[in-house]
Amino acid sequence: MYAWVWRHLPGPWPVRMLIALVLTAVIVVVLMLWGFPWFEDTFGLNDVTVG
Amino acid sequence: MYRRARRAQHKRARRGARGPVATTIGIAGELLLTMGILVLLYVVYVLWGTGVQTDRAQDELREQMVDRWSDPVATEEEPVAAGEAPVDPAETEIGDGYALLRIPALGDDWEWVVVQGVELSDLARGPGHYEDTADPGELGNFSVAAHRAGHGAPFADLDRVGIGDAVEVETAAGTWTYTIDEPARVIAPTDTWVVDPVPGQGAGAEPTERRITLTTCHPRYGSSQRLYVSGVLTDGEEI
Repeated sequence: MYAWVWRHLPGPWPVRMLIALVLTAVIVVVLMLWGFPWFEDTFGLNDVTVG
Repeated sequence: MYRRARRAQHKRARRGARGPVATTIGIAGELLLTMGILVLLYVVYVLWGTGVQTDRAQDELREQMVDRWSDPVATEEEPVAAGEAPVDPAETEIGDGYALLRIPALGDDWEWVVVQGVELSDLARGPGHYEDTADPGELGNFSVAAHRAGHGAPFADLDRVGIGDAVEVETAAGTWTYTIDEPARVIAPTDTWVVDPVPGQGAGAEPTERRITLTTCHPRYGSSQRLYVSGVLTDGEEI
C-alpha cells in the first residue's frame, strides 16, 4: 500500500520524501480540524450533561 | 554480465515475486499499523488538540464578554446608555459568554468563562449553562456542565470539590457565592433530576432555594456515567 504510493510519487527520493511528508501533514491537519471533531460528536465519547 | 543479471533477478524478486498470501498479509499489516497510528493521533487530539481550541475560544469569549459588560449595547426595546445598566445574563445568546466561574478549591487561578448552552459545540468552548435552569442568584437550580477530559478539562478534578467549598459566579449583574453542601456523587446519564429547579422533584416544582449544580462525565476518560456536586447560595444579591 505505502510502497505503491511511494512508487507512484514523481521525482528522485528527496522530492518524494518531501511530497510524502506534506501529504502526511495535510492528512493529520484534516483529521484534527474536521475528522476527529466529527467522530467525537457523532459517537458521544465525551458527554458530560444529563438528559 | 553475470553481475548485472543477478541484480535484475534480485530486483524482480524484491518487486513482484511475493505470492498472493504474502501480499494480503502485507496489506493487512499496513492497515493495522495505520489504524494504530489513527488511534494514537485521536488520543493526541482529545488530550491536547481540543485544549488548544478551547483556550483560543476562552480568550475570545472573555474579550467579548468583558467588552459587553463594560459597554452594554442598547437594543430598540430597551434603549440604555452605554455603561448605565448591566446586561441581563438571561439574554445571552446560545454559545456566547454568560458568566465567570471560579472554584478556589481547584486552584487560585481556576477561572472559566461559562457559555450559554450545553450542546457539544458550546462545551467545546468552555463550561456550559443549562439554558433552561435558573440564572445565578435566582430561585431554582443554576446548573453548569463541563468536560472532565479534553477541551481544557475544566471539571477534571470536580470529584475533589467537597462540602464547604465555595463556587463563585460573576456576571455583569453581580457576584454570587455558592457553598457546596453535597459531596460529589456518581449518577446515570439519564438522571436529569439533578438539574431540576428542586433536585428530584420534577420540572414543575416551585423552588424555594437558590442552588447550584455542576455536572461532568464519569469515569474521567469515559462517559458511561455522570458526576455531580451541588450547593446552595450563601452570598450575593437574591433575585
